[in-house]
Amino acid sequence: MASQPHPAPTPRCPLADARALGIHQVIGADGLPTGDLPAPDLPAHALRRLYETMVLVRALDERGWTLQRSGRVEFWIPSRGLEAVHNAATLALDDEDWIFLGYRHPGTLLLRGVPLTQLFAQFFGRYDEPCKGRRLPTLMGDRRVNVVPMTTQVGSYIPHACGAAWAARIKGDRRRFLAMFGDGATSRGEFHSAMNFAGVYKPPVLFLCENNGWAVSTPTSVQTATATFAEKGNAYGVRNVRVDGNDPLAVYAVVRDAHQRALDEGPTLIEAVTYRMGFHTSSDNPDRYRGSDEVAAWEPWDPLTRMRGYLEHRGLWSAAQETALWARCKSELQSAIEAAEAMALPPPESMFDDTFAEPTWMLAEQRAALLDDLAQGPGDA
Amino acid sequence: MPELTVLESLNAAMAHALETDPDVVLMGQDVGKAGGIFRTSQSLQERFGATRVIDTPLDEKGIVAHAVGMALYGLKPIVEIQFSGFIHDAFEHIHFCAARYRWATGGQYHCPMVIRAPSFGGIKGGFWHSQSVEAYFVHHGGIKIVAPSTPQDAYALTLAAVRDPDPVLVVEPVPLYRGMRGEVTLDGQDAALGQAEVVRPGSDLTLLTYGAIRHVAARAAEQAAAQDGTEVEVIDLRCLIPFDVETVIASVKKTGRVVVVHEAPLSLGFGAELVAVIQDKAFGWLHTPIERVAAPDVPYHFSIGDEHYRPGAHRILAAIRRSMRFEF
Repeated sequence: MASQPHPAPTPRCPLADARALGIHQVIGADGLPTGDLPAPDLPAHALRRLYETMVLVRALDERGWTLQRSGRVEFWIPSRGLEAVHNAATLALDDEDWIFLGYRHPGTLLLRGVPLTQLFAQFFGRYDEPCKGRRLPTLMGDRRVNVVPMTTQVGSYIPHACGAAWAARIKGDRRRFLAMFGDGATSRGEFHSAMNFAGVYKPPVLFLCENNGWAVSTPTSVQTATATFAEKGNAYGVRNVRVDGNDPLAVYAVVRDAHQRALDEGPTLIEAVTYRMGFHTSSDNPDRYRGSDEVAAWEPWDPLTRMRGYLEHRGLWSAAQETALWARCKSELQSAIEAAEAMALPPPESMFDDTFAEPTWMLAEQRAALLDDLAQGPGDA
Repeated sequence: MPELTVLESLNAAMAHALETDPDVVLMGQDVGKAGGIFRTSQSLQERFGATRVIDTPLDEKGIVAHAVGMALYGLKPIVEIQFSGFIHDAFEHIHFCAARYRWATGGQYHCPMVIRAPSFGGIKGGFWHSQSVEAYFVHHGGIKIVAPSTPQDAYALTLAAVRDPDPVLVVEPVPLYRGMRGEVTLDGQDAALGQAEVVRPGSDLTLLTYGAIRHVAARAAEQAAAQDGTEVEVIDLRCLIPFDVETVIASVKKTGRVVVVHEAPLSLGFGAELVAVIQDKAFGWLHTPIERVAAPDVPYHFSIGDEHYRPGAHRILAAIRRSMRFEF
C-alpha cells in the first residue's frame, strides 16, 4: 500500500513544551520566570558573572572558528548554543569538586580562573600549557583547578569520574564529581557501566548529559528508543531529572540540588535539553543531515538572549553594559591570541616525556635516535 | 621460611599491600566473600572490610574503568580479571586510559594500578580460559607487564607492581597456582621490575622464556644436558615491559645461539620483539638463526590444547637441537 505523501512537519523546539515534556525551567524564551522552578538565590555579581562568561564563550567560539577557517588553528569544535549548561553547572559546584570535561566546555576553565591565554596556547598546540600541546584543540584541562582533561573517546571518562568519586568517599573526602558528556555517549558501554556501578555503590557523582540533539549526524531518535535520556537512570536505580539546557538558571538549580544531595544520597543523572547550533567540528557539514528550519526553531531559545532578558528584567543589565562587554571580550581575545601565538611549539623530544614515571630503556633509546636524526638536519627530504 | 603455593603467595602479597598502604583497594568479580574464583583473595575481605575488598558487578570494562578513576584520585587499586581471556572488553581503559593519562595530561594525572590477569593454558580451560594476552599490551608504552612464575616472584613482583608509579599488568601463571610450591620470604620486600633471572647457567645456548612455560623450558634444558651434553642457559624474563636487555644480550654474546619460548601465539608474540632486539644488538655474535617455540595462531583447543598447543618439552628440545646442529 503506497503511503500518502505529506509535507514534513515544521520543527518545533521542545523547550516550547517544557512543562509537558517534564523539562524543568526557571525562565522562558523571553527571560521572564515561568513559575516552574524558583530562580536560584544568587547575588547580582554572580548572575552577571555567569552571563559575562557565556558571552565570552560565544565570542571565543566565533574567534576559534575564524582562526580555523584561516588556517591558524588546525581544528575546531564549536560550542555555539551550548553556553548555558557547562557554565551554570560549573558555578553550581564548589571549587574543590572535580569536573571531567567534554570538548565544548571552555567556560568551565574560565570560571575556575584559568587565563584566556592558556586556552589559546592549547588551541595552538603550544608547549607551555598543562597538557604540553599534545592534544586536539579544545581537549583541555588543568589539575590546578580540578578539571580533568577529556580522554578523547566520547563517554569513556564517565566511569573514571564515578571511580574518582568512589575513591574520594573511600578516603573520607567530602568532594563531588561531575562528568559532562553528550547524548551520543549514552550509547556506549561506559555510560552503562558508570550508571550501574553508581546505582550500586552510590558515590557522590553527577552525570550531566548534554542532549544537544545530534551526535555528529546521528539524531537522538537513532541514538535511543527511549523518550528521554534521563529515564535511563531508572533502570540503574539512579535519581534523574530533565532540565532546560538553554536556561542557565534552571541548570544551576538542578545541578546545585544534585550537588547538595550527592554526599548522602549519591548520584544524579541530569539530562540538559539543548541544541548544537553549530557544526559538530570544523570537519563537519550539517547541511548534509539537518534542515535550517530546525536550527531556526531553536534561535528564539538562545541561552544568551534569555539570560540577558532575565538580567534586564531584574534591573541588573543595560544596553551600555552589553556593548562594553562585547568590546571587552573582543579585546581580551585579541590579546590572548597574540600572546599564545607567540609561544613556542613543543620540542620534538618532548613526545617521550610522561609516558612512564621514568623512561624505560626502550624509550631512552628511541629518544636518543630521534635526537641523532635531528642533529643530522633535514637532509634531502 | 614458609613453603607456599603461588596462590598463597599472591594472597600474602595482597594482604601485605592492604595492611601497609591505606590507599590500596582490591576489586573484581567475586573477590570478596568468595575470595576470588581461584581463592587468591581468600579471607581478605574479612580482614580488610568490604570498602577495600570490593565485589563488583560483572563488567570487566566497568571494573577497570572505575579503577582508573580511583587511581586518578589517589587510590592504588588492584583489579582482578577472572581470566585474562576476559580482559579484552577493558582494553580501551587499559591502553588508552590507564596507560595514557600521564602522557595525555602532560604529567598532571597518572594511574598507578595493578591489573591481575590469570593467564596461560594447561588447565583444560578451552579458548577463553587459557589465553596468553600479554602481547596486546606491549605495543604502546605507558604500562608495565610482569610475569611471575614462582611463589617467591608471585609475592615480590606483585608487591613491586603495587608500589610502582605506573599501571602494571600482571600475567599470573594459573597452571602453577596450586601446582607449584616453594619457599617464600614474606618480608615485604619487592623485586625490582625489569630484572631477569638466570634460572640455569649454561654456555652453549640461551633460552629466553617467561611465565608458567618457564618450567617446561627448564625441563627441556635438563634433557639437553643429559642427552646431548648441551649446556643451555635458561633466562626467565619475569618482566616484559621493560625487559632485562643487559642480561639477555650478555648471555647471547656468550652463547651465540638463542631459542625463545612462550605459550602465546607465534606471530607478533613477545618472542618477535626479542628476536628483533637481539639482531639489533648482537647480530655479529649469532652463530645460528634464532629459534622460536610458541603456540600456533589458532584458538586454544579444549581437548588437545594442553598437549599440542602449549609448547611441550619435546618441542623445545627439538628447537635446541636444531639450533645446535644448524649449518649454513
